[in-house]
Amino acid sequence: MTILQDVVDNINYIGAIAVFLIGLRIVVVHSNMIKRIMGLNIMGTGVFLFFVSIGNVTGGMAPIVDPNAPGVTYINPLPSVMILTGIVVVVSVTVYSLSLVIRIFETYGTIDQEELSQMARRNHHNDR
Amino acid sequence: MIVEHLPILNLILFMSMALVIPLLRRQPFKITLILGFIVLGLVSVSSIYLLYHVNQFDAIHYTLGGHDTRFGIELLVDPFSALFTTIIVLLASIIYVYSSGDRTEGIEPNEYGRYYVLLFVLLMSLFGVLYTNDLFNTYVFIEILSITTCALISIKRKREAYSSAFRYVMMNELGSLSYLFGVALLYMATGITNISLIGQALQTAYETYPFNVVIALTFMMIGLGIKAAIFPFHVWLPDAHSSAPSTSSSLLSAIVIKVYVLVLIKILFRVFNVEILLDLNMRTVLLVVAGIGMIMGSVFAIAQQDVKRMLGYSSVAQIGYILLGIGLLSWEGLRASFFHILSHGLMKTALFLSAGEIIYYKRTRRVNDFDGIGFIMPVAMSVFSIAALGMIGLPFTSGFISKLYLGTALLDGRQVVFLGVLIVSSLLNVMYYLPIIILAFLKNEKYQYRLTSIERAPSTMIGPLVLLGLLIVLLGVMPQPIMQLIDAAVHTLIP
Repeated sequence: MTILQDVVDNINYIGAIAVFLIGLRIVVVHSNMIKRIMGLNIMGTGVFLFFVSIGNVTGGMAPIVDPNAPGVTYINPLPSVMILTGIVVVVSVTVYSLSLVIRIFETYGTIDQEELSQMARRNHHNDR
Repeated sequence: MIVEHLPILNLILFMSMALVIPLLRRQPFKITLILGFIVLGLVSVSSIYLLYHVNQFDAIHYTLGGHDTRFGIELLVDPFSALFTTIIVLLASIIYVYSSGDRTEGIEPNEYGRYYVLLFVLLMSLFGVLYTNDLFNTYVFIEILSITTCALISIKRKREAYSSAFRYVMMNELGSLSYLFGVALLYMATGITNISLIGQALQTAYETYPFNVVIALTFMMIGLGIKAAIFPFHVWLPDAHSSAPSTSSSLLSAIVIKVYVLVLIKILFRVFNVEILLDLNMRTVLLVVAGIGMIMGSVFAIAQQDVKRMLGYSSVAQIGYILLGIGLLSWEGLRASFFHILSHGLMKTALFLSAGEIIYYKRTRRVNDFDGIGFIMPVAMSVFSIAALGMIGLPFTSGFISKLYLGTALLDGRQVVFLGVLIVSSLLNVMYYLPIIILAFLKNEKYQYRLTSIERAPSTMIGPLVLLGLLIVLLGVMPQPIMQLIDAAVHTLIP
């Protein structure tokens, strides 16, 4: 019973780590470049969820201070603010890598990394 | 006082330079170059002044927006960050002068402007990573750094450049997210991201939440290890560094991966401290990883036919040397690895730039085609030889001094096994650098009658090379002045 309670209490953290690992698996296992970029985004989401969960205070309010209601507990807004920056960063990385994929598709005609390395090996062979 | 604002002014100068370049319409290359010289000159002067100031007086704490350091971002200029920002800006100026001469080989003429935009954003993020005293801010600067480095590789319109840049961006992003996960775990345990404050709070946090702290350390080390190409995570480096333009490769190999190592040093010694690291037995982990990297990097380098790939693998081995010094977790070890960061920066820049000049005129990258090149391009090949001998560790070069310090530090730490690894690795260095020198100067007599042949390269390419060669020798003959600065920097990390 206590284990179940622990799981329910920490469901955010467990979920965040699960999302992180799912993303990691996609990045490592798949050879399709678009899928790998999606995997990175999923990984990033896991980290962001983890970060935001740290700032949560049980029973806390959104941190907008109301002078008429003193003694209210607020959640910690700092992690959310940092994660806003983090989201922007991951978006820009995604944009950059997607544009790279467009260039790769234009030059090679494929977005599969295994096919790409096979082509590279063949070219290398022809050079010799 | 104006001195306090100098660090942020440095960042603003770089950033505004990057913003101004796209606005220039006519003759972008010339005006860009002149403006860049002015910016680099100003930043060099202010960095040197900051270095003097923090060594003579006190470290500079600068809070952005005047917020409390518990919530806001703090820039910290101490002997450590001031020393390395100075080294970076001076090395970058040398590379910049060279890049104006070879017109950055392999880049389309209408993309020079973009190249310099990326270069200045890169320098801004390098300075930011070193100045900032905040873990999350470090993450943001690291991300700017990784996007710009990837873009510097893929700017060359060549087929391999795209695919290696894609592999690089994937690995880099895995590294950044692992690092961010580590930051999250530390924030969970302490509730702050300021490095100095975490350093004070971590001892209690380690006692109450040991699990969090250990996992945070692991994630941060893996993340930065991927980015710094520490041995098992080095797979992206040779491709990425060899397909980039020569000036970019020298920037990446000589400066960028070192900055990640410096962030790792900051985290190991400022956020965590030697007692916690010893308690977790990190000394053995770091030393073993470093030792394997030193041997394997050199072994891979021997097998390479392409000179730039060979230099890339050699960087993997050299990162191992630096990590070996860090792994001793001692004052002497850190001193040796700081000196090696500087001397390897000089030697790798010299190697990549001289190899770049040879590639530019000879249109070959194969090591076997280097025969007799010492007679055709005497200056480039002499500098290459000086730097290669430095890599091997011959006396009167800076490489010898760093190996000497590293060796004495290993003996002080009673790690005799790793002294053996150091010697074996140096011998492996001989095996891939010496044949090139022999090939270039002693083989193929048919070129020898052409002793009069003069290098066609412009003086802006020759000048930086000669300067680098002189600096390598100068640092090997009298390392004392720079050692004083390094000692001051080490004192801020290990009291």
